[in-house]
Amino acid sequence: MKYPRVAITGVGLWVKGFPTAKAWLAGSADPAAEKPLGTALDKVNRRRAGPLGRALADVAAEAIAMAGADPATVPTIIGSSIGEAATMIGLLDQMWRKHEPMSPAEFTVSVHNAASGLISICNKNRGMTTSLAADSDTPAAALLEGIGMVLTRGTPVLVACGDEPAPENLAGQAPLWAMLASAIVLAPPDTSPRLADLELEHATPGADELSPAALPPLHNPRFDALLVNNPQIGLAWLVDAALRRATGSVPLDNGDGRGYLAEVRAFPA
Amino acid sequence: MTESAQRRPVRPLAVTGYSIASALGSNRAEHLAALAAGRTGLGPPPFALPFQTAVGALPFEPPELTGPLTQWSTRLARMIAHLVQDLDEPLRRARARWRPERIGILMGTSTAGAESTERAYQAFVATGRFPDRYDFLRQHTFGASLHVVAELTGARGPAWMVSTACTSGAKPLASAARLIAAGMLDAAVVGGVDTLCTMTLHGFESLQALDRVPCRPFHKDRLGISIGEGGALMLLERDGDGRVLIESVGETSDAYHISAPHPEGHGAEAAMREALAFAGRRPEDVDHVNAHGTGTRLNDTAEAKAIARVFAQPLPVISTKSYTGHTLAAAGAIEAVFAALAIEEGFLPPSLHADPLDPEVKLNVPTSVTRGRFRHVLSNSFAFGGNNVSVLVGAP
Repeated sequence: MKYPRVAITGVGLWVKGFPTAKAWLAGSADPAAEKPLGTALDKVNRRRAGPLGRALADVAAEAIAMAGADPATVPTIIGSSIGEAATMIGLLDQMWRKHEPMSPAEFTVSVHNAASGLISICNKNRGMTTSLAADSDTPAAALLEGIGMVLTRGTPVLVACGDEPAPENLAGQAPLWAMLASAIVLAPPDTSPRLADLELEHATPGADELSPAALPPLHNPRFDALLVNNPQIGLAWLVDAALRRATGSVPLDNGDGRGYLAEVRAFPA
Repeated sequence: MTESAQRRPVRPLAVTGYSIASALGSNRAEHLAALAAGRTGLGPPPFALPFQTAVGALPFEPPELTGPLTQWSTRLARMIAHLVQDLDEPLRRARARWRPERIGILMGTSTAGAESTERAYQAFVATGRFPDRYDFLRQHTFGASLHVVAELTGARGPAWMVSTACTSGAKPLASAARLIAAGMLDAAVVGGVDTLCTMTLHGFESLQALDRVPCRPFHKDRLGISIGEGGALMLLERDGDGRVLIESVGETSDAYHISAPHPEGHGAEAAMREALAFAGRRPEDVDHVNAHGTGTRLNDTAEAKAIARVFAQPLPVISTKSYTGHTLAAAGAIEAVFAALAIEEGFLPPSLHADPLDPEVKLNVPTSVTRGRFRHVLSNSFAFGGNNVSVLVGAP
């Protein structure tokens, strides 16, 4: 099944060593870029935010700026598989191990939508924002929600996805992954200028449609195994393809999801 | 009003079935009976806490999941399975009408599997080992229960869990409206679920947001919320014989504070106005508001100001959280069902524990049963992050 086409007008990326999409495209790693800085947040909210919130705020700001969108009005969709799990483990530790009263400040940013709230506060955005999860299908889910928004409201929409590493002792046998955050601004089809056109597709077993993968698959070996294990890798792959002005088929999950594909066609620069 | 409210991007959706579970019972009939009798479900917590509070605990225990779903069998997933089972008949009809990939699963949770994780972590602290049965990816993550819903419903369309704290159960209605309007879906199972968690109770206690007695929304001496658990699912379809309609959903942000509402309720007002604008309705078309009405000093005052600015007429405004407690991510879905019940049954339950009313709450808050014809009902939900949702439910 194919979903309606939209445009990509801006992207943002944070991975260790590459604090922006532009740095990623340039290809020279910055060893000092160990942790996301959260420069898009004001001082008060930067202190409130954890690493995930800081990374999501920064990639969102980069994508919005590239798209020329209005940060005060752009609807914002945040995706994360485990959200603020690390903050939650800290709260459980306070409760069960240290027997301390719970920190109200920590509790308020333990919610999955902490990042979307902080971003809306800092951008003074009084419009729609949401936060969602679908395990390894989170990038596809966030993009589908974004496509629905673009088509019904006719405005650009920000989609940003990220995950911190799963808490090691809790995740047990789950594969380890490295932190990753990326963002994309979707806009109505034929918006000009744009980086690329985007169509999502889902091959449904037993249905008439087959996933044709008509376009050559895109693959960037610079994403190492620790990044590929991150449930949000699909959006980063898409950001990478749009940045490189590539045309092809991008899987939106790392093999643990339902097999959504993004077909991306570069728009001439 | 936000810029986007000038458009009308969605059309009414038929609610062809719903299911509900809360401290009031396990199904529609039990909820109707409790509401009609003005009987609260709030009571003492089912586990020890180092502070006094009332909670709305489920009066039944959903059975363990079996077979291939055993590994997903958290309390949250078991409650979801119960709700899906109660939606069986309309789901069967929907599967006959729509292709599986055209039926979405759009739900909300804020706790996800936190209840399982906190028990596992408690065992880890005590013994140095996590229980063998604990599985982070199948029991903790926000998306884990989607697998259960997909297996039990046969829906194969887009699936996600919204997690925007206390608006999580209302926002999926907006998502469904968008995806159906955009031609991406024909039907969706929507709703919200949350279970009682020790961590959540400690967290709200740390914010000094819990009342010591069952919560008293709009009461002059109210001191906070009572946490509850529960869930509600609705089956929304592009068209069909709906019990009620979801006419529109307004979604806004306060952009003010991470955990406190704007004191004047500007974001809440904008959400209500957006819902009305999307539906092409005027304030005077609305017959009743099911308020967010948590029972905190700040929320109820701000929301009352917002409602008073939107509606010139003295329409009845009640909070049903004094029956169920604040069911967090389930609240928006449960209260949308209460809005549907008002339309279908022609009565509103008393707004329990509201008397004597806060003089700052300049609203018509009935404390006895109100009978009448309710054609359009707004249901409000507000959340951490300054997230606001207002759902307009209409008669078919």
